[in-house]
Amino acid sequence: MKHARVLHNGVELDITVDDANRLLLADGTELNEAEVTWLCPVKQPGTIFALGLNYADHASELAFEPPTEPLVFLKGANTLTGHKQPSYRPDDIEFQHYECELVAVIGKAGKNIAREDAMDYIAGYTVCNDFAIRDYLENYYRPNLRVKSRDSLCPIGPWLIDKDDVGDISNLKLTTRVNGELTQEGSTADMIFDVPFLVEYLSKIMTLQPGDMIATGTPKGLKDMQPGDVVVCEIEKVGALETHIVSEQHFYGDKY
Amino acid sequence: MNSNPIVKGKLVCVALNDAQQLAAMQAEFSQAPYKAAPTQPVLYFKPHNTWNTDGAVIEWPAGEAAMVVGASLAVVMGQECCRVSADEALNFVGGYTLLHDFSLPEQSYYRPDIKGKCLDGSAPVGAAVVAADQVADPAALTVVTQVNGETVSELPMSQLERSVPELISIVSRIMTLQAGDVLAVGFRGERTAVQRSDRVTSAIAGVAELNNQLAD
Repeated sequence: MKHARVLHNGVELDITVDDANRLLLADGTELNEAEVTWLCPVKQPGTIFALGLNYADHASELAFEPPTEPLVFLKGANTLTGHKQPSYRPDDIEFQHYECELVAVIGKAGKNIAREDAMDYIAGYTVCNDFAIRDYLENYYRPNLRVKSRDSLCPIGPWLIDKDDVGDISNLKLTTRVNGELTQEGSTADMIFDVPFLVEYLSKIMTLQPGDMIATGTPKGLKDMQPGDVVVCEIEKVGALETHIVSEQHFYGDKY
Repeated sequence: MNSNPIVKGKLVCVALNDAQQLAAMQAEFSQAPYKAAPTQPVLYFKPHNTWNTDGAVIEWPAGEAAMVVGASLAVVMGQECCRVSADEALNFVGGYTLLHDFSLPEQSYYRPDIKGKCLDGSAPVGAAVVAADQVADPAALTVVTQVNGETVSELPMSQLERSVPELISIVSRIMTLQAGDVLAVGFRGERTAVQRSDRVTSAIAGVAELNNQLAD
């Protein structure tokens, strides 16, 4: 089942999306997609973990050796935004790129979870676009919050799909298209640290809780984004997440 | 699950904001891995599994030999705060309290320190929040920390490289702050080593006091 959350006539609603892409309320009422605003599919976002350099080809693209231990950073929930929503490009930068990532969403609390039990703690999956602003990188807690925790810069969705509906996640195709052109292509088969490893690793450090999310990193294929661009990050069997890039002024309006 | 009635959303801490520490580290900053001094506040999150309260006993992480603590003035946002100037920043503050950041000793500031900083229950905040209008100037406050009754650290807020209003302004241009978000504005450069069973007390005279103890 695909679980989504939308804003409809000013009300937040939990819906499901069927195989014909119909948006359905629990009582079977169908919503017109043109009348909804997609929200982050995780109702109460917990800790958002993101992996740096978790695909060997991406690490070499950035001139890094692949890590021997997961490179994990945290993101604020202020970054989360729904499917078909805007993300902004700061005014004063040269290079902002997308990162198409498989997100594993935790469904059950646990500490010291063994790799072989890890999948019991996963509720399902979604797609995120973990935008980065390379101009703001500094070598302090790199990648720093200014690069990775800006408002709107983690589109996520469209939905959370149940783990069992996806099955094996070890060889899913990832693609990113910018204005229809294929710019990033990879497979989760090339992930350095897989989801069960990451659940074991993180739960050794801290208690994982429902609503926590693990964004598992991105393969190579960086490209600069400009206002007006439409970016679609797609992961086989999981979903296709569309994002509209706008200017900083457009995004913040009166607060600009 | 740990919780804290004060912290509703994000808990953001500022590292390397002690001007004395920054001055002492200038030579190190020019070396690898940093290669240049920071030009921006050095920020990190304490995620929700870390949130804890006054009086809480702090778990000793399994298999670890050493822990450290730092104390900070904790600024509790009173309303949504987006892209504000330093001049108007204090208008968005709901109140002030204290935070203890228990962590593993940190080897470097290069990569996010998830292992060291995200220990369960390692970020007590409290005890009480003093309303913002009771504090005329946060720069006039001093955070004093004692371990087992002995003073181990004193950090006057006037010693911060970036002041409370400057930090709120900068952070609010990265992320919109919401009511109940908390900003821990600065720690004394050298964190204090603690042992099992130690009692850690921090105080800002007339404003707040926070008591914790390490587990046996």
